[in-house]
Amino acid sequence: MKLTSLIFLFILFSTSVFAEKIFNAKSFELRNGLKVVVIENKRAPVVAQMLWYNFGSGVEENGKSGLAHFMEHLMFKGTKKFPDSYYSDFISKIGGSENAFTSYDYTAYYQVFPKYELEKIMQMESDRMVNLTLSEENVEIEKKVILEERFQRVESDPSAKLDESMRSILFPNHYYGRPIIGWKHEIENLGFDDVIKFYKKYYIPNNATLVLSGDVDFENVKKLSKKYFGKRKKGTPLIYESVIDPKLETSVMVEMRHPTVKQNIWKKFYRVISYKTSLRESLALEIGLKILASGSSSILYENLVNKKKVFSAVGGYYQGLTRGEGSVYFYAIPNKEIEFEKIDKIINDEIDTILKKGISKKRFEIEKKKFIFDSIYERDGVLNPAQSVGEAITIGIQLDDLESLNNKIVNISLQDVSTALRKFRDNNNFVIGELNN
Amino acid sequence: MKLRLLISLFLLLGLYKQSLAIEFEELTTNKGISFWFVKDSSLPLVSLSFTFRGGAVLDPKNKEGSTNLMVSLLDEGTENFNGNDFKLSLKENGTKISFSAEKDKIEGSFQVVSSQIQEGFWLLFESINKPLFEPQEIDKVKKQIVASIKIDKSNIQTQASEKFNKLFFKESKLSRNVKGSLSSLKNISRKDIFEMHKMNFTKDNLVIGIAGDINPDKAKKYVDYVFGELPMLGKKRQIPKFETLAKGENFFEMESPQSTVIFGQRGVSRKEENYFAVRILNYILGGGGFQSRLYKEVREKSGLVYSIYAYLIPFENDGVIIGGFQTRNETVKETILKVKDQWNTMKKEGINARELRDAKTYYKGSFSRNLTSTISIASLLKVVQYYDLGRDYFKKRSEIIDNLKLKDVNLLASELFNKNDLFFMIVGKRDI
Repeated sequence: MKLTSLIFLFILFSTSVFAEKIFNAKSFELRNGLKVVVIENKRAPVVAQMLWYNFGSGVEENGKSGLAHFMEHLMFKGTKKFPDSYYSDFISKIGGSENAFTSYDYTAYYQVFPKYELEKIMQMESDRMVNLTLSEENVEIEKKVILEERFQRVESDPSAKLDESMRSILFPNHYYGRPIIGWKHEIENLGFDDVIKFYKKYYIPNNATLVLSGDVDFENVKKLSKKYFGKRKKGTPLIYESVIDPKLETSVMVEMRHPTVKQNIWKKFYRVISYKTSLRESLALEIGLKILASGSSSILYENLVNKKKVFSAVGGYYQGLTRGEGSVYFYAIPNKEIEFEKIDKIINDEIDTILKKGISKKRFEIEKKKFIFDSIYERDGVLNPAQSVGEAITIGIQLDDLESLNNKIVNISLQDVSTALRKFRDNNNFVIGELNN
Repeated sequence: MKLRLLISLFLLLGLYKQSLAIEFEELTTNKGISFWFVKDSSLPLVSLSFTFRGGAVLDPKNKEGSTNLMVSLLDEGTENFNGNDFKLSLKENGTKISFSAEKDKIEGSFQVVSSQIQEGFWLLFESINKPLFEPQEIDKVKKQIVASIKIDKSNIQTQASEKFNKLFFKESKLSRNVKGSLSSLKNISRKDIFEMHKMNFTKDNLVIGIAGDINPDKAKKYVDYVFGELPMLGKKRQIPKFETLAKGENFFEMESPQSTVIFGQRGVSRKEENYFAVRILNYILGGGGFQSRLYKEVREKSGLVYSIYAYLIPFENDGVIIGGFQTRNETVKETILKVKDQWNTMKKEGINARELRDAKTYYKGSFSRNLTSTISIASLLKVVQYYDLGRDYFKKRSEIIDNLKLKDVNLLASELFNKNDLFFMIVGKRDI
């Protein structure tokens, strides 16, 4: 009896960390199609609310780039009931913080605030989904702000300009090739009518996911979301038509020369699979690229920075949480001037050698462990969990899949990782860029 | 009578709602290190946040960047690990260690998952007590810092703040670039690095906050293990007050369609009695989120910038108010005038009763956001010790805020803010 219970305990302990759900999120859907997710965490009397709309720059018509992001800015301009900056001023005076962001596939609004104000915040967020009161003047002034934002983020940063150009070549057909903030000349032509049309068409409950994380109560959220978001009328839901990019059959190298650049940087962007295409393959690629190229303990760094001393830094990472194809970004900072065709060859040769030799079981196990440990860190806070859960659901990953990611990681084999990396090495859909002066 | 009771009940509730006290323990180890501690077992994680008084101000002349170089080498090889093994061990043991050299201190943070606590603390011990500073690692890290200085030189925003610091703080050591320069890095020897290590990591210039899934006795044991054998300096390190600060404008030409402007004037030190009043004034002028006067006037009403802000940097014996914005080259002058206008309005008219009330509730309400993660709790415990705010600070804080009177705050505003004391560093292309 004692022995069996001991064994049982042991098994329970060793598997519990994997079987455990990462976030313990609960979800439901309102009749108007709004998805609601609740992640309870009572450590501090603080709540994070995030409202994720499942569209970003991807839904913009040709010639209207930047419109989704423009709209995001205008969402702070007030409604009839809560005019002008009432909402923002309210958040400030209760000691909260807020912001919003727009990506290719989504637009999200968030607030972090003392829990006592939950109802009012939910009411105001629901209100601006449909009741925005915009004036032509609002729109014109905000356009100037957005142009300044573009100048700050892109036009005055040669490295960002290079990235923008590389993406436009990597994704010749998909909206991922178009900058989220918009092309300057197109932002300049956006106007009041574009904005209103966009707002009415896309800001509907069935295009959104509401996430509440922190010191909240599931039943209370259910009641309040019905009360405030439940009255928003369902609209025509967004249907994404999948756009596929052609294979890149030319080798493209982009050069950004600018007099202010003092350090050459080499970059390479790839088009790869996404978590949506295959969770398993993506996880294998994620783990593989971490071993190969992430941070200063990666094999590439060990060989090319520490041993061969060709680069002062080299690395890469995978962005696979995308509705369309994912991407991989590589970069290298050479110690001396090296022609950038040569840099590509140095890295490719190194990857070939590594793959030929095979990745060690030790590195593989370490990376899997780290993945699982990271999921503990991810829960330490109120905004992070809302961010991870909201993004995944909005992209189209199932909540159950996200919750059991650790379990899936355990089942990835070294063979899966090698296969994913070989496939990555054979991938010809890439663009190379160099920043110099 | 009934009404009054109701009101006082309401007030009491209101107070309860906002003055969330944080229960911490002050612990002292066998080796005499004291630190603040909060036990929180909601996740199997331990977070430790620490500061050593010291930093780039200790760098010898012509060897600027020594402290930063030393700190960057702490994970590049220790007595029991080479650099790569060290970093792999961090991953394998769910441990995160970070150090950063700042002007007047070294900040550090350490996090570990509970199951790997022993291994994690071993790694922290090694990095602080047993770094080897091997010549080939020094050479590698120097190259990395050189590359990062060059990247900074290509970046208009970093350039602006570097140039600003250099000119604004004048002869003060605070004017230094923490990373040093291409030439000063060349002068730093291995011996210098060992020397910086000894100078910076002293037991009596260390403050620590710990939060997470660990017992107080164990926490004490590990603190002694990691920090217990460090040398003593024998006194608290002081940074001399800065004599004068620059005023006026300076311009640096860089090819760009948009200019970056950084501005500043004297502020107050964290220990000064009126610090909270200044904090509130700055919040109303240029801090917080989207509610500040600068944000509303310069961005919302005029569309001249995407971001504009002002914040306080409290040093040990001094303080500054620093602000910044980016705007198209041709609107730099107009925007600077608007900033000066706001500065002047603050001086001449101060703030109104509603602004004061909203700022007070902001500071009372925002406090609980510090308590949402173990690392933010640990860091809060550390900061309060660093500035000697007192054991009762968390209880006193609401009171300090409540006691601020409009008249006094406005008197302070009229003394502190001076548009002619402002220094503007402009980096961009001159608009002809």
